[in-house]
Amino acid sequence: MSDPAKTPVSFRGAGFVPGTRRWAPWLAFALIIACWESASRLGWLPSLFMPAPSEVMNALHALLVDGKLLVHIGASLKRIVSGWILGSIAGVTLGFLMGIFVLARSVGLPVVSALFPIPKIALLPLFILWFGIGEPSKVATIALGVFFPTVVSAFSAVDNVPRNLIRMAQSFGLSTRMIVFKVILPGAMPGILAGFRISTSIALILVVAAEMIGADTGIGAFVLAAGNLMQIDQLIAGVVLLSLLGLTVSALLSVTEKIVLRWR
Amino acid sequence: MLKRYPRLAVLFAVALLWPGLVLAQPKEKVTISALPFISTAPIFIAKERGYFDAEGIDLDIKIFNAAQAVAVAVASNDADFGITAFTGGFFNLAGKGALKVIAAQSREEPGYNFVAYVASKKAYDAGFRSPKDFAGKSVAITTVGSSFHYNLGMLADKYKFKLDSVQMKPVQSIPNMMAALAGGQVDATILPANNALKLESDGSGKIIGWVHEHTLWQLGVLFASSKIVKEKRPLVERFVRAYQKGLADYAAAFLAKDSQGNRMIGEKALALMPVLEKWVQPKPSIDTVKVAANYMDPQGRLLVKNIYDQLAWYQAQGLVDKSVKAVDFIDLSFVKGHRDVPK
Repeated sequence: MSDPAKTPVSFRGAGFVPGTRRWAPWLAFALIIACWESASRLGWLPSLFMPAPSEVMNALHALLVDGKLLVHIGASLKRIVSGWILGSIAGVTLGFLMGIFVLARSVGLPVVSALFPIPKIALLPLFILWFGIGEPSKVATIALGVFFPTVVSAFSAVDNVPRNLIRMAQSFGLSTRMIVFKVILPGAMPGILAGFRISTSIALILVVAAEMIGADTGIGAFVLAAGNLMQIDQLIAGVVLLSLLGLTVSALLSVTEKIVLRWR
Repeated sequence: MLKRYPRLAVLFAVALLWPGLVLAQPKEKVTISALPFISTAPIFIAKERGYFDAEGIDLDIKIFNAAQAVAVAVASNDADFGITAFTGGFFNLAGKGALKVIAAQSREEPGYNFVAYVASKKAYDAGFRSPKDFAGKSVAITTVGSSFHYNLGMLADKYKFKLDSVQMKPVQSIPNMMAALAGGQVDATILPANNALKLESDGSGKIIGWVHEHTLWQLGVLFASSKIVKEKRPLVERFVRAYQKGLADYAAAFLAKDSQGNRMIGEKALALMPVLEKWVQPKPSIDTVKVAANYMDPQGRLLVKNIYDQLAWYQAQGLVDKSVKAVDFIDLSFVKGHRDVPK
């Protein structure tokens, strides 16, 4: 029997390293679209049930040409951005308070847990009564949808800041204010930004619901109208717009993460 | 005993069922998609009075809650027939070749209140008294491309105002339209008679006119899947015959007028109330039927030219594909004597 201490051990530390293949997502998208287009061309997908990608592109092109595309995107972005900012500011503030103060936590957590699962779409008629059918009810729908997940993510992000960092800061004699701004805030940032990824997606989902009532412009209103008119190519075009918007926001958040989390 | 002698049980069952097995004619199973409204009454009447059975049709009525769904069910072959109002979505579906219009349902007819223009209390007090003055007003409608949208379009054409100058507020449903008007968030809306009268009696709205006083048009139709029209013509003919009997009963009961031009709701109407109570939602009373029973051609004849006009209007608004042609989705051969047939 050989001495186990002397057997050479191969290097096992490879793999499990996060990285990206830049070409992979493009190839996957191209492949899916190619399959879809050829299925339509071969007549396997009747255009009544699913239009070809080329028809969707035509619909998008037509929208771009008559200038409605920018109007729709502009109207929706205004609602999404203002709703998201309102919801996020309120959510991060409350989440922070809940993470730091015991009283805020013991009151806030059950209240948030009780209100989070309420479908905001079901409250739409109520929002109309409170805010009318103009912009406020649409912004409120998005803000409320964004608020709750933000509270939860901000709260748990603050909660997860390593205690030893806070203790160390205390032993260096930093003031509470300094600890909050120099230790807890940066420490909670990764969690908060991860929460933003979820809340921006929720804002995009809710814009369709928000524009159900009294909106004649906006991507959500456009998608709904296309559905009502059975213009399936335009419906898909609207959905593609929403998902492009989602990709853009995700890219923006990645850039923000790089900047904000440089200390890592 | 039957447990111990299974063969005896079978014999017994066959003996009991034999007359039924021999006498039952093979009936064709047919499905229709419809809304639970009074405008579907001829179908309900024909089913309950056995007119479909007499034509050898075993009819299954599938109830939906939106005109759109009714048309989609037929386009996807989940139903053979459908009966509902025209919408932009209907024309787009028909343009794909999935549907054929075969007979008429509701239409706006002089002297029959059906759909009303309703002004909010505030707009009325500020001088909004006539449907000619819709320009510059905000109006709640269900959706873009709905019949309410088209109603406004016809008014705009007739009274030469720009449809763009009307601020249309799509709010998805009739209850939402009523809420928006009652809450003063819009100046006006367009509502079926019973909803309009309810708003007026609540004091939250004022009826400023009825659609039949300004524009006449074909609202609804009976249609069939293109497949069944192509493959089972005799069945469609039998179906239309039964439907026409239902229409005739409906007209006799609910559309008769006395010498002063007032609607007479008498014995025949009362006799049909159980049928309506069984099928129509929300459950109607004789009073709601009096105001909500809309005009339908007693023989199911279409205002054909109006359908062409509707399609052209939707196409001009960019709501329906330009390639759709009315002649491709209307089959005039099932009902005799259609009106205003374009040459």
